Amino acid sequence: MSADKIRKTYSTGAFFFIAPAVVVLLAVGIFPLLFAVGVSFHQFLLPKVHWHGNFLGIWPIYDAPLCWFQNYISIFQDDSFRDSLSRTFLFLMICLPCELVLGLVIALLLHKQGNELLKKICRVALVIPMATTFAVVGLMGRLMFDANYGILNYLWSLLFHSRPNWLADPNLAFLSISIMEVWQWTPFCALVLFSSLTMVPLEIEEAAKLETAKWWQILWRVQLPFMLPGITAILILRTADILKLFDVVYIMTKGGPGSATELISVFVQRVGFRAFDQGVASAQAIVLLIIATLLSRFYIKFVYKEI
Amino acid sequence: MKKLLCTFCAGVAFSCLGLSVAEAWSLEEAAKDYKGTEIKVIFLDRPGYRATIKMLPEFEQKTGIKISYEIVPYESTREKEVLDFSAQGDLSIALVDLVWLGEFAESGWIVPIDELQKKFPNLTDPDLDLNDFFPLLLNAFGTWNNTVYGLPFDNYSGLLFYNKAMLKQAGFEKPPETWDDLLNVYGPKLTKDGKYAYALQSRRGETQSCDSFMRFIWPWGGSLLDAKFKPNLMSAKDQEGLEFRQKLEKIMPPGIVDFDHNEAVNALAQGQVAMITEWSAFYSTLSDPKTSKIVNDLAVAPEPKGPAGRKPALGGFSLAVTTQADDKKKGAAWLFIEWVTSKAKAKEYVENGGVSGRQSTYQDKDLVAKYPFVPPMVESWQQGVPEFRPRFAEWPQLSEIIAEWGTKMMDGQSTVKQASEEIDKRVEDVLKKAGYYDGKKPLAQ
Repeated sequence: MSADKIRKTYSTGAFFFIAPAVVVLLAVGIFPLLFAVGVSFHQFLLPKVHWHGNFLGIWPIYDAPLCWFQNYISIFQDDSFRDSLSRTFLFLMICLPCELVLGLVIALLLHKQGNELLKKICRVALVIPMATTFAVVGLMGRLMFDANYGILNYLWSLLFHSRPNWLADPNLAFLSISIMEVWQWTPFCALVLFSSLTMVPLEIEEAAKLETAKWWQILWRVQLPFMLPGITAILILRTADILKLFDVVYIMTKGGPGSATELISVFVQRVGFRAFDQGVASAQAIVLLIIATLLSRFYIKFVYKEI
Repeated sequence: MKKLLCTFCAGVAFSCLGLSVAEAWSLEEAAKDYKGTEIKVIFLDRPGYRATIKMLPEFEQKTGIKISYEIVPYESTREKEVLDFSAQGDLSIALVDLVWLGEFAESGWIVPIDELQKKFPNLTDPDLDLNDFFPLLLNAFGTWNNTVYGLPFDNYSGLLFYNKAMLKQAGFEKPPETWDDLLNVYGPKLTKDGKYAYALQSRRGETQSCDSFMRFIWPWGGSLLDAKFKPNLMSAKDQEGLEFRQKLEKIMPPGIVDFDHNEAVNALAQGQVAMITEWSAFYSTLSDPKTSKIVNDLAVAPEPKGPAGRKPALGGFSLAVTTQADDKKKGAAWLFIEWVTSKAKAKEYVENGGVSGRQSTYQDKDLVAKYPFVPPMVESWQQGVPEFRPRFAEWPQLSEIIAEWGTKMMDGQSTVKQASEEIDKRVEDVLKKAGYYDGKKPLAQ
């Protein structure tokens, strides 16, 4: 096809339809990202810098000294950053499999024949945890896990006659935030996996049921291969979300006790808005972006297979 | 002779006129140009601010100036204020914790009082009397580099609050005089049957760095920095104090690392713990039957002494006028700050739950009798260390470092020695970058 013909397949109207979305994305997403990259190359301490107008009316100019890759080097030499990152990956490796497995169980149960009314109620009820504001989830967690007045310790004391200190013990605090995270996002996994299950062609499923009665063989050989795109989507979205997880953790434990629940975003907030070292915090955020992108490419390469 | 008499009478008449002009300064007169001005300030959810909020309608009615306040938790206050000042926001009054004073003053965000008095000569109350403030408070909370920026507003001293019934039951008529007594004599007898002798608020944050960490450095004769501003935590005295704090854990409730002010005050108020060393402002919570079960058994004493003497915790806030406010708002803000910290309003402030920083307030014998926390607090203010926490601009960064490793020391993630070395290393790094070691910055705390 000639170049003219290719150009003509997109009408000029299409450009104007997409323009508002692109402008918003530029203003809200791309510009702050580029500004953060710029700031990460300077020694930018918020109380000490002064604003000197805008370049071309849009790019703000500050009198922060340039320090090239100094911020990035100091990040990798900082033990606290490495600890925080490894803690976040540990959190990811605990929560994500739990969410996937529980979500898969729920999806399979919803996919089974019968109990139509119960299934309808379940599908609506599953949305509630996802729709709850993060801050509210954090507050709920704080109240439920309270050592003296929480409902969890009340039930625990009836069963086991002890009152563990959920939010003050480093390991139990980590477990507490994992529980809240799994509670909130398992329904998301369940719903995505359920919709992937409905995409399995009915004939193939019925044929498989004739071959074998074992449900796990049907799951492994027939259903899962069709669910791979859904699973990839869950992996990418949940990984990005857990790397960004802030509100729930901050409200429940503020990163404490000590630094037992200080996930990477809580750490970056501490550096950026308590020590007000925006240069280092921007560098940390850029590093996080690179990690998230690499993980997404990894998932797409190894997990995603379209049938 | 007649001429002399005439000039004498004229002189007397003029001075009378002058005197009458001076005495005629009143808030309403001074504020008449500022009617309708709205000024913004950030308040905390603490007794002193609740006391001020009760007094606001009177100020608004007298001057027509509207004060709009926003209540923010302490841990978010500095963040909110710094972001507001950096972005040229709308705060007209700055609430300055003594540890933020260096930072705010050096960044040029608050206006010195001399400048305000020069700019607005008609708005300065002749009864301002800066010498009436406790020297320690005016110095620590409001003065940086020999310039006064703010007036002491929300004033604290660390005090020992204790449950005299619990102490009496264990056989003690008086509170402990020294930290050593508290640990070795009072501790074992009071820690039993699910009750504990002492609770130390230690949550990561300013609570850990100020209330928990610094409290066990100064009374042992240690310090955070030496004379050359090099970190000093590895010195014998500092290590002794910090090791002592570790020993205290056996007489404190489990999970102490997660205790913030509310948890410590509640532990005493609900009868779980016999003694706490908390800020004086919490007296009103502990003596209110609605929030405390030990109203009749509450007693107050100065903090226990360490080997180097009594060095109680010092904390407090001053109110200053922000540079970013326009002239009208500056004037209105200055009027409010003077009024709320004035001699005339001090008694009402105390009766509403606040703590005044003026010496004259506590000469009223009835007031002193009504509030038992006053004598130990006034005594503590005679002996306090102004640099209990360094007030220079780098303190917030240092506080984060101390808070992180101080809590790690307490919950066993690190030993006292290791954590002290880490803190020293990082503190030195921060101070080096700030230019204290190559003469770029004066060594001011």
